[in-house]
Amino acid sequence: MAATGLLLGLILVLGCFSEIGVALISFSSLQTTLVVTATHPQGLLRAGEDKITVRWGLNQSLPAGTDSAYKTIKVQLCYAPISQVDRAWRKTEDHLSKDKTCQFKIVKRPYTTGNQTLEWTIERDVPTATYFVRAYALDANDHEVAYGQNTDAKKTTNLFEIQAISGRHVSLDIASVCFSVFSIVSLMGFFFVEKRKGRKAQQ
Amino acid sequence: MEIEGQATVKESQPPKFALLVDSEHKATEFHLFSSAAPHMRAFHLSWISFFSCFVSTFAAPPLLPIIRDNLNLTATDIGNAGVASVSGAVFARIAMGTACDLFGPRLASASLILLTAPAVYFTSIASSPISFLLVRFFTGFSLATFVSAQFWMSSMFSGPVVGTANGVAAGWGNLGGGATQLIMPLVFSLIRDIGAVKFTAWRVAFFIPALFQTLSAFAILIFGQDLPDGNYQRLQNSGNKQKDKFSRVFYHGITNYRGWILALTYGYCFGVELTVDNIIAEYFYDRFNLKLHTAGIIAASFGLANIVSRPAGGVLSDMMAKRFGMRGRLWALWAVQTLGGVFCIILGQVGSLTASIVVMIVFSVFVQAACGLTFGVVPFVSRRSLGVISGMTGGGGNVGAVLTQLIFFKGSKYSKETGITLMGVMIVCCTLPIFLIYFPQWGGMFCGPSSEKIATEEDYYLSEWSSKEQGKGLHQASLKFADNSRSERGRRVHSQTLPSNATPSANV
Repeated sequence: MAATGLLLGLILVLGCFSEIGVALISFSSLQTTLVVTATHPQGLLRAGEDKITVRWGLNQSLPAGTDSAYKTIKVQLCYAPISQVDRAWRKTEDHLSKDKTCQFKIVKRPYTTGNQTLEWTIERDVPTATYFVRAYALDANDHEVAYGQNTDAKKTTNLFEIQAISGRHVSLDIASVCFSVFSIVSLMGFFFVEKRKGRKAQQ
Repeated sequence: MEIEGQATVKESQPPKFALLVDSEHKATEFHLFSSAAPHMRAFHLSWISFFSCFVSTFAAPPLLPIIRDNLNLTATDIGNAGVASVSGAVFARIAMGTACDLFGPRLASASLILLTAPAVYFTSIASSPISFLLVRFFTGFSLATFVSAQFWMSSMFSGPVVGTANGVAAGWGNLGGGATQLIMPLVFSLIRDIGAVKFTAWRVAFFIPALFQTLSAFAILIFGQDLPDGNYQRLQNSGNKQKDKFSRVFYHGITNYRGWILALTYGYCFGVELTVDNIIAEYFYDRFNLKLHTAGIIAASFGLANIVSRPAGGVLSDMMAKRFGMRGRLWALWAVQTLGGVFCIILGQVGSLTASIVVMIVFSVFVQAACGLTFGVVPFVSRRSLGVISGMTGGGGNVGAVLTQLIFFKGSKYSKETGITLMGVMIVCCTLPIFLIYFPQWGGMFCGPSSEKIATEEDYYLSEWSSKEQGKGLHQASLKFADNSRSERGRRVHSQTLPSNATPSANV
């Protein structure tokens, strides 16, 4: 029947949209070989306005050749534990494909030896939360092989807070109020007209 | 005034109405694709306005992944707002029944819709968890338009078609809960692609449901009328309409235990439907890592099933009644709702995307059919207090939504999949009380009709009127109804007791 066909079609189409499982890389298997620092102005940072300077590079005390597999560096903005409380959509999972800790990409660049620096303006869709910065080293297959972060293993130091934009505009506020008032006033208007019609009919 | 017998005859004067009507001028036929005044026009105004209220009430859930970041919401905040969105209508639905009695469904529903529209406009300027909760709370009041829609249909359509009219109006209205999961992400994407930033785009998107709601209220006020013969005010002034005493109507409604049982069980079909409308988009988005748009499409298919499943429940109820009478209606209701619970349990257990979608759709069909089946029983619980019983049942639906969200979907106590499974278990348990519903004249699920003398339809319905009231002749409508309801005996009905047009009464 048409309904069954439609249902099957829907499932097939959705099958294309769903993400197919990737290789199961676990975070705990990665080595901390990168050194990452992030500097920023004091106090609360504002999304869309303030800048963070991120510096990353291989830990020089490691033997040469550690970075032979590194092809790309992916630097991300990650949620600190305090911003993950009671928010399952930001949960830290060991399997990287399921991990939701780092949801914002700062930069993704080919890997070069030596230290790299970037001055990044915080994007306007970053929500209000406490963050740290993490860099992943990816191999030729785009799989994570190592990482570094600007905080300690327990994610308690060097955290910084970002304040999101509100998304509100004065024009929106005014429009909301005007339309609301219009709804109420028009209701009263209708009642008034009804009463007048009723009185006229009785005359 | 004596009312003529309910014969399905054309008026002897030149027909004033586009449809065939009975002696009360209620339509005896239902033409879906007509919008002839006043009957079919009332139907279309009714379902469209109810649909718009559903769209507004559930406009936030598909956009929650954006809103929760903008307003810094925790899972607890989201759960609280979800509870708030369905709790307002608990009392609003009961009050709406009274308002319809006093002012007519046209003014009652349009007023409610226009008074709740500001809450939807103000959602655009919400800036904290508390303001978010407040706007969802006040927007949720608009779900009381369910009662006015059912009341309006019962005023415009007569026995043979009132069940269809009510089932389609309610089903197509509930559709809004599904349509909004498609509409809102789409509107959001359009606005964002025009150039707005995410946190502004969702705010602008809320103007769409708000405007739709406002315009539908205007349409009701301009094009609608309460009764086939006109509006309440005019009819009351000319003395054509009797008024019953509110206190007596209320008393007979709340002292009928069947109304309470149905209120409970409706909470576990309709209430569950509301809960799922609130949580399902986020569930698919988070569990299967889908895009917002995709999660919205899947979530929409849950509510979209209403286009056929709720009316189908009503039709099934009528089919069972033809053969088995009221006992058949009760058995069908229990079986379908229990199966809905079973599929809910399964939904929480399956881990693959495709299986989840399939199970969800099957679950939606059973749950929504159960809603239609419930309103196959409601009209027979009381004749004098039909409005109160409908309001109680409708309100009970929202109580069920409040309870399931509070217990299973607030905060981080249960993962969403566990919550869904446990909700399924609760559905199965809370459907069991249907075993206790017993009509002396027709029986219950396990017992046949009473063999004692007080076991006729007249005895049951006239017990709602005191002898003094009967002396004044106020019980005439109930007497007629009792006669018509003899079809609820099923195949045991003797043909001579039935006037030729008396109908296997469909859901009123």
